[in-house]
Amino acid sequence: MSKPRIATTSLAGCFGCHMSLLDIDERILELIDLVDFDRSPVDDIKHISQRCAIGLVEGGCCNEENVNVLREFRANCDTLIAFGDCATMGGIPALRNNIPLEECVDEAYRAGVTVHNPEKIVPDDPEIPLLLDKVYPCHEVVKIDCFLPGCPPSADTLWTALTALLSGKPIELPYELLKYD
Amino acid sequence: MSDSITITIDGKEIEARPEQTILEAADAAGVYIPRLCSHPDLKPIGSCRVCVVLCDGRPQAACVKPVMDGMVIENETPAILQHRKNIIDMMFVEGNHFCMFCEKSGSCELQALAYRFGITAPQYPFQFPEKEIDASHPDVMLDHNRCVMCARCVRASQELDGKNVFQSIGRGFERKIGVNGERALGDTEMEATDRAAELCPVGCVVKKRVGFATPIGRRDYDAAPIGSNIEGERS
Amino acid sequence: MSVKKITIEPVTRVEGHGKVTILLDESGQVSQARLHIVEFRGFERFIQGRPYWEVPVLVQRLCGICPVSHHLAAAKAMDGIVGVDQLTPTAEKIRRLMHYGQMFQSHALHFFHLVSPDLLFGFDADPTERNVIGVARKFPDLAVQGVMMRKYGQEIIKATAGKKIHGTGAVPGGVNKNLSSAERDEFLKEIDQMLAWCRGSLKIAKDYTLEHIDELADFGSFDSNHVSLVREDGAMDLYHGNLRAITKDGDNIFDQVDYQDYFKYIAEEVKSWSYMKFPFISELGPENGWYRVGPLARINTCDFIDTPEAEAARKDFLSVTDGKPNNITMAYHWARMIELLHSGEKIRELLNDSDLQGDDLMAKGERRGESVGLIEAPRGTLFHHYKVDENDQVTMANLIVSTTNNNTPMNRAVEGVARKYLSGAEITEGLLNRVEVAIRAYDPCLSCATHAMGRMPLVVELENAAGQRIDRRVRD
Repeated sequence: MSKPRIATTSLAGCFGCHMSLLDIDERILELIDLVDFDRSPVDDIKHISQRCAIGLVEGGCCNEENVNVLREFRANCDTLIAFGDCATMGGIPALRNNIPLEECVDEAYRAGVTVHNPEKIVPDDPEIPLLLDKVYPCHEVVKIDCFLPGCPPSADTLWTALTALLSGKPIELPYELLKYD
Repeated sequence: MSDSITITIDGKEIEARPEQTILEAADAAGVYIPRLCSHPDLKPIGSCRVCVVLCDGRPQAACVKPVMDGMVIENETPAILQHRKNIIDMMFVEGNHFCMFCEKSGSCELQALAYRFGITAPQYPFQFPEKEIDASHPDVMLDHNRCVMCARCVRASQELDGKNVFQSIGRGFERKIGVNGERALGDTEMEATDRAAELCPVGCVVKKRVGFATPIGRRDYDAAPIGSNIEGERS
Repeated sequence: MSVKKITIEPVTRVEGHGKVTILLDESGQVSQARLHIVEFRGFERFIQGRPYWEVPVLVQRLCGICPVSHHLAAAKAMDGIVGVDQLTPTAEKIRRLMHYGQMFQSHALHFFHLVSPDLLFGFDADPTERNVIGVARKFPDLAVQGVMMRKYGQEIIKATAGKKIHGTGAVPGGVNKNLSSAERDEFLKEIDQMLAWCRGSLKIAKDYTLEHIDELADFGSFDSNHVSLVREDGAMDLYHGNLRAITKDGDNIFDQVDYQDYFKYIAEEVKSWSYMKFPFISELGPENGWYRVGPLARINTCDFIDTPEAEAARKDFLSVTDGKPNNITMAYHWARMIELLHSGEKIRELLNDSDLQGDDLMAKGERRGESVGLIEAPRGTLFHHYKVDENDQVTMANLIVSTTNNNTPMNRAVEGVARKYLSGAEITEGLLNRVEVAIRAYDPCLSCATHAMGRMPLVVELENAAGQRIDRRVRD
């Protein structure tokens, strides 16, 4: 019997959730016996190659590319998990949600004390994705089946959730594994 | 005691005194009824609705409702738990609660209630409202992003500090905590030693320059859920 | 043949979101190759108004891979804001331990989890095997080593910061906890094993570099300036020091510059095609003033390393270039493993220092309005600069993150590899991976770089001059 496949991605996040996944430490070796990895930043599979049992999404949506990737995950994953505060509630990137985007861009590319930008340009090449007006948590863009909050969720939280899912049991997080910070 | 009466909470009979509220009687008996705006040093106002229980079948705020002999109270039913979750959920989406960098995280009562209820993500859309920070006072900061309108600061200033620094102003979604100063907190009689500076359940009214002094692991709700201290006294 | 464009997106096995575009002219020669950073966060703006004591906790969320760097650089800046120029011995050493723990975990992670597949399997290996899981299957002992080394560093961070990722240990003017003797004893039990593994890792990186030296010398390599902090006596110091910049030949451009004045020496150019800015040494201008940071730059700029095994390894490293700066891009890996060993030695030194169990955690001073904090993060010099008003609110933040410093060098490396391997060639996955291999040498943290973070995954598209896609290769 083939093993269930797992895909992971980081959208508008800091990668800390993926790092926390690596913090399962030696259990990684157990995990790769249980599952096959599909698209993930830790391998070189650039797009989901076949149906996946589990999709793990870190980060919310701050640009058009994030939305496209999130939709790719929704379309190809049986259970889609938003992991980490950025995915579940927007997180730190959402701090820009009540500031006009133009002000954020100005501060970074025009006003900074070390900025050398005589023509006052801002990054706008067609090669870089358009920014969304606001940063959106994942469940406001696609249906999310499971939420694992935390900044990041601890390795034990992720391990508890993944092993429950893989054995077909409901995810039950003990008190010490449910945190928002 | 001769004047003691008996009430029932979730099928368990407990002794109470007639002058107690349901919340006080439950606390004394080691039964935790979740609450947010209520604080033992302040007069209850029944505003946040987190402590709502079914009292002889009718919803009542446990912090203001006095006990009566023979009262039958339901506290931990699925419907009431859902009601409480909904309230907490709404508080999260109506403010800007970024727990990950909030100095109150780990000791925040709003967060602790959400933990206790097992909330993994709010079910309502985030509002990301535009809110202000009033840092004009040299020793106390008011971050409206985190306010849950419990009015503890309002009551503490009046009842405990003998001042009138804070006030609820506005209506509905516009409601907020205002200060009785010309412009801002810095113009009021507020002092860092005021009780009003320490009773905020969230990270809205905080003393300046003390954030993150307590390491992770030693904060109020790191190890055990909110209410454990009350339940620990259960005989 | 018409003009073609190759797109590699997302770039993988690096940290962050980026893509590469390569333009081929009519004769199939590479005419342009660029690394685009595709994310933007806006930290500089939304941090305004926040109280200064929140900043070390908030701003570390730039990056989940090296949060400690941002946590400490911000804390150092905030030390200045609260007027503290000298921490208590316990606070300084706890922070250093935290920092070396992070250097240890980050370097181990990069080498074992991200880069070792290229070195062990080759650039052209099957991409479904060429990853850390493949390493775990083929070289389980090595994979376990990598995992355990990262774990050791992460546990040190947890013991000093409260959490493995995004902790709260450093506060303006000090730290919020010390290290208990029980915690210390646990770490001491394992340090000898860690050091043994460091030596092994260093040997792998060194042997790899020397065996492939002819190929690597021309693999995205180029001469450049180098920048890092050095201690007052010229020693490598990853936590604190003054700025030094040298030329490709090792001559000083500036030296022992107090980093409070960094903005007089460094500027950043904005380009339309990347959210990441392009720093340069002001007096040399954008064309000639760009420089490299990180392990290679640090080994090149310092006069010596103050731990014996790493110092011997440094001399060994420089003997390849007769004591002159090494400008080979792929030599970053070797340099990084020297620093891994150095960090291990430093951790041992600190663990044996009883100041870590001290109770004097906080220092006090006179409030100031502006301050700069710099640190040598795993990926290079990290600049944090803040202004704070009389209400304790941040009014200005300027951040130059480690990877941003390497923006021009990474683009040079991409262009060099593209020109050498892709011009006139049939495009294969392995050739495209070479472009990523060159980027990976810098261990870029593109989240950091855009004040963002995420994956940097690769798709290559061939378009004709009219912009129509004529071929597409996806790395999967």
